Amino acid sequence: MKLTEPMVDRLFWRAGFGPSAADRRRWKGKPVLALVDWFLTAPARLVGPAPTKDGMALDPIKNDDDLVLEWVDRMIRTTNPLVERLTFFYHRHLANSQQGVGSNQMLRTQNAVFRGYADLAHNPNASFRGLMRDITIDPAMLRFLNGESNVKGAPNENYARELMELFCLGVRDDRNRANYTQYDVEQLAKALTGWSIAGTDGMDPHPTPTFNLDSWNNGPKVVFGVQQEFRVRERTDPGYVSAKDPIELVLRRPGAGRKPYETHARFFLRKLWHEFIVPAPDARTMNALVAAYLAPVHGVPGLHLKPVLRRILSAKALFSSLAEPDMVKPPVVYVVGMFRSLGAHVTDNLAYRALSLTDQVPYEPPNVAGWEGGNAWLTTNSVLWRFSLAGELLRRLPPVDHVESATMAVKRAVTELHRPWVAKATMAIVNDAASRSPSGSADARIQRQRLVRALLLAGPDGQVM
Amino acid sequence: MAISNGIRAESCLDCERTDSRVRDLTPSQHLAIPAEALRRDLGDVPRQARYNRRAALRNGAVGMAAVYAATRLDWDQIWEAARAEAATTSAARKVVLIYMQGGADGLNMFVPQADAQWASYNGARSNIARTRGVSTSLADVGSTPLPGAAGAYLGLANPLLSGAMNNQLYGMPAGAGGLDTVFGDGSGGAGSNLAIFPAADYDPPNLSHFDSRDYWFAGSVTKPTTTGWLGRWLDAQGSRTNPLQAVSLDSALSKQIRTAGAPVCAIDSLDGVVFDVAGVSGDANRYVQQLGSIAAGRRNAALARSRATYALTTRVSARVQDVAVGTPAGVYPDANASYLSNRLQLAARLLGGGLGTRVITIDWGSFDTHGSEKTAMDPQLAELGACLSAFQADLTARGIADDVITVVFSEFGRRVGSNDSAGTDHGAGGPMMVLGNAVRGGLASEPSDLTTLDDNGDLRVTTDFRHVYRAVLEEWLGADPRRYLPDLPNGTINRLGNDPNVLLKAS
Repeated sequence: MKLTEPMVDRLFWRAGFGPSAADRRRWKGKPVLALVDWFLTAPARLVGPAPTKDGMALDPIKNDDDLVLEWVDRMIRTTNPLVERLTFFYHRHLANSQQGVGSNQMLRTQNAVFRGYADLAHNPNASFRGLMRDITIDPAMLRFLNGESNVKGAPNENYARELMELFCLGVRDDRNRANYTQYDVEQLAKALTGWSIAGTDGMDPHPTPTFNLDSWNNGPKVVFGVQQEFRVRERTDPGYVSAKDPIELVLRRPGAGRKPYETHARFFLRKLWHEFIVPAPDARTMNALVAAYLAPVHGVPGLHLKPVLRRILSAKALFSSLAEPDMVKPPVVYVVGMFRSLGAHVTDNLAYRALSLTDQVPYEPPNVAGWEGGNAWLTTNSVLWRFSLAGELLRRLPPVDHVESATMAVKRAVTELHRPWVAKATMAIVNDAASRSPSGSADARIQRQRLVRALLLAGPDGQVM
Repeated sequence: MAISNGIRAESCLDCERTDSRVRDLTPSQHLAIPAEALRRDLGDVPRQARYNRRAALRNGAVGMAAVYAATRLDWDQIWEAARAEAATTSAARKVVLIYMQGGADGLNMFVPQADAQWASYNGARSNIARTRGVSTSLADVGSTPLPGAAGAYLGLANPLLSGAMNNQLYGMPAGAGGLDTVFGDGSGGAGSNLAIFPAADYDPPNLSHFDSRDYWFAGSVTKPTTTGWLGRWLDAQGSRTNPLQAVSLDSALSKQIRTAGAPVCAIDSLDGVVFDVAGVSGDANRYVQQLGSIAAGRRNAALARSRATYALTTRVSARVQDVAVGTPAGVYPDANASYLSNRLQLAARLLGGGLGTRVITIDWGSFDTHGSEKTAMDPQLAELGACLSAFQADLTARGIADDVITVVFSEFGRRVGSNDSAGTDHGAGGPMMVLGNAVRGGLASEPSDLTTLDDNGDLRVTTDFRHVYRAVLEEWLGADPRRYLPDLPNGTINRLGNDPNVLLKAS
């Protein structure tokens, strides 16, 4: 299948933050898989000026806003946007908040873990299993879901529950069977005891997880109806992770009438699919995805991310409704996309404010389930701020003044904004707005350009991708 | 302290910026004010329903509060706090602060009446002096003695400040009141609700806009503070979660309510929020409404949602006007023409809105009248009298007039002698007023003696502004003034004759 221009646009919005003119030139007419493989193999670099806030370098450790701006800037400047989109997907799937963690250092460390599993150029064999092993003992997660206070004598069930409910299995499977019971939660929590965070006195800049065999609950544990034998020893081998066995058990989810790993695979792959695609996958597509995800590596299901992403990003359903985009841009995609299409950079707190006003500040998810999202992003409040972002950004950029007709002014805006998608009827109204705008002075013409650009980028049609 | 003319001229370099807004502080977050929160006609609707986020999203925002807080506050937490406070502190005492920017000329507002005083006044500024007695000519504004004992000293510039003589000068509406309306008989009894301090300042005065306003906002002359005088009170006595407890009706926070930690906010408008493009005067909202009306493909729920939400939002502001604004009770000047009218109507809505608002600050006007003083100042005086009277009537109609006092002040007064540009230069002893049902009206301190000016030709200060602050804190807010005013001098407000030196009526 060869890429048409709307298809290039679609992929760059769904896997990134929107296309540039160069992206279109490079990929139009090429096979879909060529572009998908580029997303999955191209190393990410940051290009353009480093972020500043009112003339000062960011201080993401001390300043909460700067922590957010640092990441948003990466999204704006990265050469491979899929890396940041996936990193953000993991953040939303394994949502920890600044408020709950209380350490920017820990959140930054966690963010680097996520990025390690998103940067498939460097980590082509990245697996969900590896991500869960790392994140289970990640200091921010140990703090956020009380892993550090999950002790031998008084197990804390928080992490065990979310590990099953939100991260790996979901509450019920496709056949409406409960995937776990409260008893499973209690028993699994015991298996996850023994962890704490070293260096949390605020003096050590690198808090690290530590495992203490003595504080591990060594009693019997019956999970999913079977007594489990978890192997545990002191952590002398750097590759050894004591949480490995309970995680593997959850991913495998054994049980009568269940194929090992399939409960997890279907739960996770459906969410991953809908990160990029609106229509639900049909049964055949889903089965093929599951098979790719569970393809054995060294004799066990690999749970590798790259093969499934390759299938999802090249799925026919991704190109649904090409003539009229059908997915609401999440605030992060919208805000970053706006910066990218205007060639703007982080020079003040604007991106943070825009995200705050449109209800999605990275590192500040409303709860451990992440953001609700979907069409609900658009409210009578959020659309006002989505719209005003364009004017605020345009005001920061050099004014555009050319003595030209209203039609030419609109053409110029369309071209310089890399032809954002708007419906024909929308374009007619934008042209009408331009023709009714004064153009007798430089100031009037500058205002006309701003109005046209805001209507094109930030009106209702600019909210979908 | 002798201040040379040279220094005085230099101090005018900052005349352009004589507002109380803090410049080194950016808001920590923004909060949408739901239309529901300001509705007064909800009757039996449970309070909870007015403030929940869903209701706010459904009915749209009337405005945005720029929140200044030490910690990030959760949206629901704020509204829960506002709701709880409104329920428990509905009768809590509230303070409105109106800062007349630039150093107002009290002498042309409250005109000396005794023969020797008026002779000195007229002699020093014959090109801008008011006459004694009624004159309704704009070219030659007169003065009407204040009722009661105060009339021996001062008269109101008429017809500007006097409602009784209102003949719709400078666009004032028919039926508008004036300072006389709220001054009543000046006895300090019922209906005598305006206390006048004709020469309030600090001593020795320094005549710099920048320094003086900072002293007034900080509530401290000799001990620099980054917080405001009521900001410190909020830190000690205010809410930790409700930024609406103290509001600057402005684009940024006033230093008067700058805190060390308690959340406060700035609200510029509650007129409904519309789509606009920064720096563009064209009506973006109109085009957005059209864009929102285009039909989306039948199966495209996302685009349909987007367009419908945009269209709905363009309609919200019109509805908000009906629902939340209501018709103000007082005879206000046209809010489109009068900024003070606009701000005070906002203030009345907020105070009556059940949001737990205790303090409101307003920066208003342009009183740095170095030249053509009458042209510059007189329309503002007409506005001031009509607005304060209307505000008081509005508060009465809302049933909260007993709970609110309004403090009006300027950073200094002006030179007694006028200059050749028919204006006045920076002086000492500015006009200050406190208004409210609870206030003991009348002349609240002696006027300055125009026959014995200071070495600089300025009025002698008869009221230390910190003594008025002290009375506000001690008598009105029940707080220990020494805790919030670090260099409070000994003494109290200085009433005439046998009047007790207190700000409020005996309760």
